[in-house]
Amino acid sequence: MAIPMVSKLLRNHLHELALNDQRIDGREQWEGRPLQLEVDVLERAEGSAKVTMGDTIVYAGVKFQLMTPYPDRPNEGGLMCGAEVRPVAGRNWEPGPPSAESIELGRVVDRGIRESGCIDVNSLCIIPGEKAWQVILDLFAISDDGNLFDAFALAAIAALKTAIVPCEKFEVGEDYPLNVSKIPIMCSYHKVGNRFVYDANSQEELGGDERIHITLGEEYHVHSLQKGLKGIFSADEFAEIMERAKIQSSELRKLVNTVLGD
Amino acid sequence: MGGYGDIQMIDENGLRVDGRNATQVRPITIETGVIPVADGSCRMTWGTNDVIVAVYGPMEAHPRKIQRQDRAVLDVRYNMAPFSTSDRIRPGFNRRSREISKVTADALESVVLLEMYPRSKIRVEIEVLCAEAGTRCVGLTAASVALADAGIPMTDMVVSVASGKVNDVVVCDLNKEEDNYGEADLPMGVLPNSGELVFLQMDGDLSPEEFQTAWDYNIQAAYDIHKIMVDALKTGGAN
Amino acid sequence: MKSRLVARPDNMSGNSSADGPQDSQIVVPGENLGKSGEYEAGHGVVITNDTLLATKNGKLIIKNNVLTIEPIHTTYFPRPSDLVIGYVEGCTNNIWFIDIGAPFNAILPMSLGPSKASFGSTRQVLDIGESILCRVQEVEETHSSVVTMKGMGLRKINTGSVDEIDPHLVSYLSGNGKDLLREMKENSDCRIIIADNGRVWVDGEVSGIINARNQFKDLTQNYRLIEDGGNI
Repeated sequence: MAIPMVSKLLRNHLHELALNDQRIDGREQWEGRPLQLEVDVLERAEGSAKVTMGDTIVYAGVKFQLMTPYPDRPNEGGLMCGAEVRPVAGRNWEPGPPSAESIELGRVVDRGIRESGCIDVNSLCIIPGEKAWQVILDLFAISDDGNLFDAFALAAIAALKTAIVPCEKFEVGEDYPLNVSKIPIMCSYHKVGNRFVYDANSQEELGGDERIHITLGEEYHVHSLQKGLKGIFSADEFAEIMERAKIQSSELRKLVNTVLGD
Repeated sequence: MGGYGDIQMIDENGLRVDGRNATQVRPITIETGVIPVADGSCRMTWGTNDVIVAVYGPMEAHPRKIQRQDRAVLDVRYNMAPFSTSDRIRPGFNRRSREISKVTADALESVVLLEMYPRSKIRVEIEVLCAEAGTRCVGLTAASVALADAGIPMTDMVVSVASGKVNDVVVCDLNKEEDNYGEADLPMGVLPNSGELVFLQMDGDLSPEEFQTAWDYNIQAAYDIHKIMVDALKTGGAN
Repeated sequence: MKSRLVARPDNMSGNSSADGPQDSQIVVPGENLGKSGEYEAGHGVVITNDTLLATKNGKLIIKNNVLTIEPIHTTYFPRPSDLVIGYVEGCTNNIWFIDIGAPFNAILPMSLGPSKASFGSTRQVLDIGESILCRVQEVEETHSSVVTMKGMGLRKINTGSVDEIDPHLVSYLSGNGKDLLREMKENSDCRIIIADNGRVWVDGEVSGIINARNQFKDLTQNYRLIEDGGNI
């Protein structure tokens, strides 16, 4: 990803706005952009979701493959998660092998899902030591206006929740829905103008400093954390955004449940 | 091409597996401005095909060695998303996508007035989210709509459509089954205002008469599809 | 232009241009706008085989027998004497490179800079990331341009905020919408300068800047209503 030049005026303006408790697009400090979650949007994927957050648009698609379990874990299937931000998503994203930014995106989302234990890898095993399912989750951004992390994480869990294991296609029994027991939710906070805000847009990302990603599971269990970009933060600041993440993750979980009709 | 199979693709009334007659095209929708951060964009659904195209530019061509002193460089990338087919595709450029990118660029270069933007680059990103059959045709057609949406000057838009032969019958706009079990495939890129061609491929086996029928089907279909494209651009601008 | 060989002309009924081009109609690339002669080709229109051909998607404007197309979306291309807002993207010992939102960076030579800079100390006068209000001095055929800061009101921008607006809004606000712009300035109590490259400098109290930004946002949404003659 090409790093664009940061305008000093933008940084100063964001500072000024923060001092007046304002944001560049008129939102409150902890307010997210209009959010839209659609599921089963891709015909060829076994599970899929599309997330629109303001002008950020991402897709997630789940595919299944048969694999031979690893010798040290003969009873387990696999989960693979990859994020691709192709040059379609913005003028700064470049073609070629995955950039460090998109690898970070994929790995952070992957950790949140894997560590929450929402997918029981033992249930993916068909014949121990011989045959197991590999769940492949592909994240695909088509429009990047900031905070791809939250959009990817939300699309990922919704796509997994709607996934059907294609047993008939692979001739290993009957199709059944993939068992996803939990809904881990990621909330990202960017430091903009010396204070943290929720769901930064691309201007705030450009003129801001560090970002912190928190993935929370049921009962506020923490599943993954990531601090990215240059910047220093205090324990008090972290405690504050942790409290915010608890509120916001519950709201998002409710949204996922509503969309999935649970 | 699967060659001659036992599967009956055309019934006694001349209807195809999805109920279309020989000249009918699958349902098409076109929407412009779907990617807010792009200079121009278009989403085209064509049957089960779902293709998104973004256009960025004109912008400075980097690195300098790819710059052309007399015209712009058209940088076309065709890519299939990993989840766009029934078997997952490994991400990354492969020989097939590289070839399609090249022929798409060659077709578009014939209509885009590149000489107006020396030393610059116009990026066209074609992303196939869901593939059925004829994605190169959808990609090329959607790319010309996206270029028009971005305000890039063109002498005409390219409409691309494929006809082929299934069970010895020439049919227009092959679907997935027909593409897999059919005997020939003739994709064409037509300039609807002059009737000229900028893109032509073919594989399979067609007699001269069949070839002419397929050719005529394509030209007629291109004319119909062009109306949908014009409609999308005109209403997209007014609403 | 070469003469056109038609694949199967019997299958291609031509576009109906019997009514001739109409003002304000939306046209698409390749659209036939009638025989040349009656009209001349302006921006976005070419003549091929004595036929006027639209090359852009946009609104057709007929003025003084010239057909021009106002594109729906477009990239900024500099023209001499354009007032633009630029960001300093790089510099050498005696030249600044300015991002003016065009395909190519503009050049600001030391001699046309804001104050006396000495060779090798350009960064002390204008640092990378700083914003400037400047004017396009000349544009080469290959689209590289030279900007100048010598002139009335041209300066470094130290306060306020720079936003981007639709290029159409620029032409509207500097044309028919001039009163609207004056009203916006009064409502927000801010200094507002609209540059030709679609960037807007708003300077004043933070509340005023927010006020102006919201007004621009509403205006962008309502712009097409204005075009259709509606009231806002």
